[in-house]
Amino acid sequence: MVMYKALLYTQWKWARLIILLGTLAGFSLPLLSLQGAARADRGALQAQDLLRAVQSWGTLYPLLAAALGLLVAIATWTADHRGRHVHALTLPLPRWRYVLLRFAAGMTLLAVPIAAVSVGALLAAFTATIPSGLQAYPLALSLRFALAVLVAYAVFFAISAGTARTAGIILAVVAALVVVQVVASIANLQLDLIGTSQVVLLHGLGPLAVFTSRWMLVDV
Amino acid sequence: MCRRFGLLLILGVLASPLFGQDTLISRLRIRADSLLRTWQQAVAIANLADSLERERATIGRDTIAVGALRIITNASPLPVRQAAALAWPAIDSLYGSAAADLAERPYFIRAVDPDSNARRAVLHVGLEVPWDLDLRSTTTLLLTTVPIAPPDRALATWLTGVLRPSIHPREDLGGVYLEFVTAPSQAARGCFMGDIASCIDALGLGDTNHLERWYPSAPERRAVVAGSFADFFDHGGSAQALRECVAGRDASCTALLRSLPADVLPKPLSDAARVSLVRDALRLGGQDAYRRLLRDPEAAIADRLAEAAGVSVDSLVAGWRNAALAARPAPVELPWWAIGVALGWVTVFAGCGLSSSRWRL
Repeated sequence: MVMYKALLYTQWKWARLIILLGTLAGFSLPLLSLQGAARADRGALQAQDLLRAVQSWGTLYPLLAAALGLLVAIATWTADHRGRHVHALTLPLPRWRYVLLRFAAGMTLLAVPIAAVSVGALLAAFTATIPSGLQAYPLALSLRFALAVLVAYAVFFAISAGTARTAGIILAVVAALVVVQVVASIANLQLDLIGTSQVVLLHGLGPLAVFTSRWMLVDV
Repeated sequence: MCRRFGLLLILGVLASPLFGQDTLISRLRIRADSLLRTWQQAVAIANLADSLERERATIGRDTIAVGALRIITNASPLPVRQAAALAWPAIDSLYGSAAADLAERPYFIRAVDPDSNARRAVLHVGLEVPWDLDLRSTTTLLLTTVPIAPPDRALATWLTGVLRPSIHPREDLGGVYLEFVTAPSQAARGCFMGDIASCIDALGLGDTNHLERWYPSAPERRAVVAGSFADFFDHGGSAQALRECVAGRDASCTALLRSLPADVLPKPLSDAARVSLVRDALRLGGQDAYRRLLRDPEAAIADRLAEAAGVSVDSLVAGWRNAALAARPAPVELPWWAIGVALGWVTVFAGCGLSSSRWRL
């Protein structure tokens, strides 16, 4: 626990600016997406405009989630990479435990912007005048945001924790996919590797499926 | 004597335009008759050309018969027969006994090689389809191009098109639900809240004074003018009225909307909603429903729908509304399994981080 607190404190120092800005953005986003919905003159007539505005602002949630996951994961490992992991090797604990504590500390820090999105969404939903037939989904949106942040953080944490060789292998696989796709197109073959990869990654049971679908604070 | 002669002369001069007018009417009548004869000749030639073209399209082709469907097509891997077998039940259930007429109105489908650029004879009837189309697409093609005779003018105008079988009935009704909650009209909203008279108004089945029925309040009329016709009215004499309307003067909004032709006013519920209502009526009415719907082109659409469905228009619309409410699109909430999947991936990636080769000494 002492070790966890120490790591949490150091990670807070490295990532506090990211966390603060993320928290501010996460709190404002739901309020901005329902801006004007609480006005008295905004009745049932504007239901379509309201949905359109909510949908437009909704594209920013997955971007914010991905950005938070990426930046916090990078911040988690920057100091260790810079010091060539000498400090980590001197600590009296196994490597796997050190990595696990780093991961847990990062997740704890990310709880702050996630909570900010939840509070902002609840506040926006309670203060807005929502036309009949439409409903607010603050908890569903917060849950989706939380899962997206955690998935993004886990992906980038794994990439940052890897060696340059691992990164090279990942890049080589992506490049190979692109090259095979280009060759298949030139040869007029019915092969859609990019489309298939997209489906595997973004739909159904894919790792990034939580980022797709509709991010709506208000919907039918 | 001279005065009498003068009087006759004056009368003659005054009457001469009448003779001239008579000549003009005769001349115009002759021209109209000539025009009619020319049009009849043109129609006869067009029919002959169409008939010859159809004859040409059938040469060396097979006829596939499934139910009353007749498909004249060339030999190819295109799954026409299987698609027809899938499409026929949907067509039969929509048109009922009227679907039997399709035996006289065949599809002409020419399956072509999708990879060939070789020139081929141009056919002016039917469809040219690449033969690598899959079964689902071929079935959709048959459903969306059913060669049923077009409905009468009144029904076609009300429907804004031809009635076809639905490919995604659940999604169609889900779209109607969305219109209920988002249409900027009290009629649509009243329908959503359960007022059947509002539904009838919103569908254009009731009073023909659509402006009062569809957009009864001043803010609605202002929203329609500002939303749909701002550019149209922002010219010439109507520009001033548009500015007054946007500023909140309802009389100007009403005058501007009244200046539009009746069928231009935006409908609170779209054509898709009307089509889904007709499909409901035909489903309720059974085998002869489509024939009953077309029986009396002079009757009001509401009466024709009631006649086709065999129930009152109120019951028909109430059932249709309930079906639309039941087809509410899925909410944006995450299913439980998606939460499990996301947490599973977090664990997998965290495991990848833990087992990185960097930590192996």
